Amino acid sequence: MMVPPKKDNVFRALDRKLGAVAEFTMRQYRTKLSTWVVLGVGFIAIAIIVLFYVDSMQQEIEAIDNDGDSMDWDGDGYPTGQERIYGTDPGNPDSHPGTFSPPIAPDPPEKWINEDDFDWDLSATGDTTVGYDDDGDCRLADTTESQKDRNRNNVNCDIILDYSEMSGRWLQPQSDGFVDEDPDEEKYSREAIHRAFLLAIGKMGFVFLLGIFLPLFLATGLIREEMDNSTMHFMLAKPIARRDIFLGRIVGYLGIVWPYIIAMGILVGLISGFAGPGDGLFRFADLGIWMAIIFATMLATLVYGMLFCALGTLWKHGIVLALPFAAWELGMAIVSFNAPAASILRFSVIGWSLNIIDAAALIVWPNLSLFIEMGQWGGGYAGDYWGSQLEGADALSAFASDTGLGIGPLATIAVSTVVLLFQALVLWIVGSAIFKGKEIE
Amino acid sequence: MMPDLQQVGPAQTQQWAPEVNVPVVLLENVSKTYGKIHALSEITLALSGGVTGILGMNGAGKSTLFNLLMGKLKPSSGSIKLFGTDPWKNPAPYARIGFVPEHEKMHDWMTAHGFVSLFARLNGLTRQEAKIEADRVLDFVGLADVAHKQIGRYSKGMRQRVKIAHALVNDPDLIVLDEPLQGCDPLARTTIMNVIRELGKMGRTVLVSSHILHEIERITEQIVILHNGRLLALGNLHAIREKMDNIPHTISIGCENPKELAKDVINNDAVFGISFPSGDNLQIQTHNLNEVHRVLPSLIVDNGHVVNSIDNPDDDLESILKYLTGGLA
Repeated sequence: MMVPPKKDNVFRALDRKLGAVAEFTMRQYRTKLSTWVVLGVGFIAIAIIVLFYVDSMQQEIEAIDNDGDSMDWDGDGYPTGQERIYGTDPGNPDSHPGTFSPPIAPDPPEKWINEDDFDWDLSATGDTTVGYDDDGDCRLADTTESQKDRNRNNVNCDIILDYSEMSGRWLQPQSDGFVDEDPDEEKYSREAIHRAFLLAIGKMGFVFLLGIFLPLFLATGLIREEMDNSTMHFMLAKPIARRDIFLGRIVGYLGIVWPYIIAMGILVGLISGFAGPGDGLFRFADLGIWMAIIFATMLATLVYGMLFCALGTLWKHGIVLALPFAAWELGMAIVSFNAPAASILRFSVIGWSLNIIDAAALIVWPNLSLFIEMGQWGGGYAGDYWGSQLEGADALSAFASDTGLGIGPLATIAVSTVVLLFQALVLWIVGSAIFKGKEIE
Repeated sequence: MMPDLQQVGPAQTQQWAPEVNVPVVLLENVSKTYGKIHALSEITLALSGGVTGILGMNGAGKSTLFNLLMGKLKPSSGSIKLFGTDPWKNPAPYARIGFVPEHEKMHDWMTAHGFVSLFARLNGLTRQEAKIEADRVLDFVGLADVAHKQIGRYSKGMRQRVKIAHALVNDPDLIVLDEPLQGCDPLARTTIMNVIRELGKMGRTVLVSSHILHEIERITEQIVILHNGRLLALGNLHAIREKMDNIPHTISIGCENPKELAKDVINNDAVFGISFPSGDNLQIQTHNLNEVHRVLPSLIVDNGHVVNSIDNPDDDLESILKYLTGGLA
């Protein structure tokens, strides 16, 4: 029996025309020098950020003696930490373990650097206590009881971690004295810098830089250039509605921009995955972040593409109208870093796009805020010394932010995606209405 | 709805159906104003079948009229119907219309074949059908052998023919050509005129605009004359000319010995005046242009005159306009 051919409805006919406009637009982009210049500049901008990252991953992170016990204050050849363990006076050159019988050989000072690293369980949930006094200086007899239980939880030599249900963040740790007071900078900072880089390049490099500038230079002229060149006359004389021309042009623009973003994301993702810290050869866990970065940037280029194309259609110098929007979005990007819950962010594109990356970061690194607290807390109290912040903690704190919607990460991604698609839909309708009302000479 | 880039399967069906028993082109009291400037005022026109020349000086409103027909401008008042449908509101009638714009800019990076098949696809054809159609129309306008060259390398006349081919790709019932002969070399001119005449013979409705009378005269006798945005005359060019026979015409003859020629010409009854603007030029005044043109060749040949050129300096659009407006043009 013959299968009757599928009925060709109005959607299939539209689909063909849309496909033709989209394909034409993609081929037209390829012939324009400006396309290659814009894509090339985008590549160079991202490449420079990546170079800084690769360089920072190569650099040695200086091991800092956070509690000062590698110093030999009295000049007797024994570091303070060693003298304290043996109960000699670190301030008296005549009192040192060398006077013991049999005499104890002096430790090299390096042994007393990074000797009391974090013993934290980062998978902790809710209030918990962590920490172990690796170098034993908390448990010494001459450490006072108030130093041993500075956080007053009746447990000596521990650290209390508090989780605030209100803010959904970890609070600053409360520690007893001399616990985890000389952490390993290398171990912490490499990871922190790596995470900060991922969030920074994802938010500023991809969503902001590529997400705004590619549409600004590639989409603003989509309709306008054809109108000014009077080549639009050919298309308008065919049985295709103007809103379909508008959509077809956008689809063609996405046909160039989306593969570019995906390729860039994969490229930078591979570089950072291999160059980043970790035991494995490749950081597979980061792929979740990269998927979110690529996805958020694709949505941003869609919405901005619709917006800038509409502005270009509205006015010959549409780029002048587009610049204030770009400035607004930059401002909103900065706001989102500091006040992710600010309701003004809901009136932006970037606020929603960045939400997707922040939510993905929470899925991949569930205790990101605890990790940041850890680095900012540094080494805690160690006699005359207060722990100093570890490198990378501030950068990570600057680029990481809460999702701001007060809902779970997956729900945040879903809601943000729907909102961005809705924005694109509204801008398509507005843009087509502008185009439809345009009289073209 | 992702674009169907493969484009297999049957071509699109016509959802839009033209109204029957209405003129192909119908304008009723159409005006287009820009502030206080009237680009077109109160045009009423109904056309169906055959070739119609739209004549007018530059700025008479020809392009405005075409842009209104092609849905690029919205009429300030009045109504436009193509196959019974308003083109500003609904682009569907363009499935049966081909348009050759006046503008010279094209997508120079495309090949003629790519250009024509792109617009065939916008008419709803599949990729394969579009290629076949493109071959057909490029052959029709005589560009089959250069179809795969970039448009940027084409001469003006070839580009003009590509535009005509792109307009014919949907086998339209109405073809609108805005100044199709402008800037073309004589060969391209002849080809394009033949194509237009051919289309007329095929029973299509063709609108051709021009500001040069004898261009239009070689294609069609049915004309519409626009002047300062108004419809000045509508009908047969011949009839208009006959009326004009009662007013004096000038014929300018470039020859080696104008005085000798004048002696032979003055004997003719139709000639009532003679002047010598320069040493190798003779001007004749007549009331009967046809009669003079009938006897002049034999007169020249019989008496052995050497003639370089014969012109009718006032047998152009301007003099027709002057006549039709009673000297106000």
